[in-house]
Amino acid sequence: MMVAMATASAILGVTVTSSIALQRSFNSTDNYLATHTQQIRIVDFLARDVRRGLSVVSSVDEQTVQIQIPKYIIQAGDPEAILNPLLIGTPRSPSRAIVSRDYNINYGAAAPSFVQYKVNGASIERWEDGVRTTIASSTDNLLPQTIDTELANTEYTTTSITFKPISVADRSGTIVYATAYLRNRRRPPP
Amino acid sequence: MQTKKNTNETGNVLLCVLGTILIVSLIGATVLRNSTTRLNASSNQVRAWKEALSAAETGGDIGFAELRKQLSDPANQWAGWTPSGTGYGYVSPETTFGNSNLRARTGVETCYFDVSGAFHLGSNPDPNANNWYRVRSKGTAPLPNLKRTGMDDALTNDGLQHFAAFGSMQMQDITARGKGNSLLRKIDFQYDHFVATYGPNGDGLNKALVTASYAPSISRRVEQIVMPVTPFFDAAIKSATTFYGLGSAAWIDSYDSRNGPYDPTVKTNPNSLYYNDSRHGNVEIGSATATIMGTIYGDVATDGGNVTKKTANVTGTIDNNVPFTLLDYQMPDTSAWTYQSSPTNVTSTKTLAPPSAGTSNAPIYYVFTTITGALTVNPAVVGGNPVDTYVAIRVTGDISGGNAGVTVNPKVHLKIYFEGNISVKNNNLVNQNPSFANPYAGNLQFYGISPPAGTPQTVTLNPATPQTLAATFYAPSADVHENGNPDFIGTVVCKSFYSNGNISWHYDRALNDEGQLLDFRIASYVEDTR
Repeated sequence: MMVAMATASAILGVTVTSSIALQRSFNSTDNYLATHTQQIRIVDFLARDVRRGLSVVSSVDEQTVQIQIPKYIIQAGDPEAILNPLLIGTPRSPSRAIVSRDYNINYGAAAPSFVQYKVNGASIERWEDGVRTTIASSTDNLLPQTIDTELANTEYTTTSITFKPISVADRSGTIVYATAYLRNRRRPPP
Repeated sequence: MQTKKNTNETGNVLLCVLGTILIVSLIGATVLRNSTTRLNASSNQVRAWKEALSAAETGGDIGFAELRKQLSDPANQWAGWTPSGTGYGYVSPETTFGNSNLRARTGVETCYFDVSGAFHLGSNPDPNANNWYRVRSKGTAPLPNLKRTGMDDALTNDGLQHFAAFGSMQMQDITARGKGNSLLRKIDFQYDHFVATYGPNGDGLNKALVTASYAPSISRRVEQIVMPVTPFFDAAIKSATTFYGLGSAAWIDSYDSRNGPYDPTVKTNPNSLYYNDSRHGNVEIGSATATIMGTIYGDVATDGGNVTKKTANVTGTIDNNVPFTLLDYQMPDTSAWTYQSSPTNVTSTKTLAPPSAGTSNAPIYYVFTTITGALTVNPAVVGGNPVDTYVAIRVTGDISGGNAGVTVNPKVHLKIYFEGNISVKNNNLVNQNPSFANPYAGNLQFYGISPPAGTPQTVTLNPATPQTLAATFYAPSADVHENGNPDFIGTVVCKSFYSNGNISWHYDRALNDEGQLLDFRIASYVEDTR
């Protein structure tokens, strides 16, 4: 009886321990994948805006990125929307100006939209004309770093994002790189 | 001794084992479910989202290639495309390509910008001006396997309570995930969400439930503005190698003939409505060697910069990092032009009377061996009235001699393609369209067909009694010498430029869109992220 109980307890103990270990392992894996998904999301958000950007500036600490993007969609409060509210949510027609011996194509008479990416605590936020969207947030301490490189004939950003998984102390193994080139003619940053 | 079998304990082990299996199975099932959805979100959806952009940009490239057929294969341009519903362009057939069966469709619409820079659909009302194009393309990538949302989207929406404690970090994570993916990657599970919400053109009109071309799939849309590359854009003088000029008392400024005749006071009158138009007398030099004389009311650009002499007389900026290349110029396709077999040369005074008006794309076409005499071009007469007439002349030899010259009468739009050299007096080039007092340089255009490599080509404009010379010269292989001091209206694009005359040189900003179409270029790129 004692032997049987001891054996059963041992088996139960191993089972419980294994289950907990498995659960923790699975949880770590799931958490890792979830944060990795967010890494990719940050990269994709940033690349989308840089690609259509008119100017890009990254901060010295590489954790804040400011981008001007064309104001393609008419929004409530825009001059066109005030004149004709039915235009809200529709694309703008471009206009043309000649600046420094080349054409600038502008969407809207006002300044382009101003987009900012920054780290706020454990969240990565995207601000567009004062409106905040939290695009990623993780207890795994996501850390994006973006470098903006300006050359004579082009400009691109290189972004690396790391996080610190709950199961591994080292964040260097989690790094994701991305490079995005501006498509438009560059403008002076605001 | 025989131990009695305790039937009350029968099945305990089995229950324990089953319980254990159940627990492990639940954990495994949860992991599998999570893994599948995570894989779906981080692999399939991300891949499809990126490939959709690739497809959309491929559609843009297809449209761009079709536009360039205007230069290389105009007879087959838009073959297989259908007229767009707007009436201003064409829509491509849907193209399927790549291992992932991506799909692309492109709409190309003709457009133009008026003098104020405002956008208009349709062809430019100025027949001499080149059109711009708006290229809208849509790329679609299928999502393989079942119709699944991302795991993060499925858990919660804004404002909805979740199993995780509201305000906790876990909740923050989940909320952020839900917002992020939904805003970024919009999946069409059954219907095309864009057409249903914004209409096929995104303007809120004709919204409809249209089945997505793949279900599920991700589509992305890109709008590009394509501009014509024209020879005379925003430069009074453009020289691929060296530049010297003009005379020490000369000046280069600009104006816009669409706003009226040239006014010499505008360039120094900031209160003038057209003051900004007067500061585009730009000089662009494709090498480092530039000797600036006189005053330049505009910018100077060089490649590598060694600008000497009167650099303080440049009112704009001097940018020494603007490389450019002038490609050899070849005779354009004349197959659609209306050829006239005579005359075949101009050796004495001669007047051309074209039999019909022609068009800017299909002008009345003459081929001369030389022009050594005075040529006058009259407009065609229709119903007793002179009409706007488009004439092209190809000169296989030189345009030279003391009497050599060209007079363009009102309503004549003349382009001369010369294979040899030009050596004429300034005042033998007379442009009277629309009037002698206010001529438009775009009505007398010279194009230098590039000779074989190593063969020099020269354009020499010789001194004569000063008068207005309104013309454009696009001769990327020619060395240009302006030896006189006329009142020059127009632009010169050449291999090298030299002038020491005290010329008053006015670039006409109406030339920006004019001249022989050389190529196309993408001027703007924007993605419709809705």
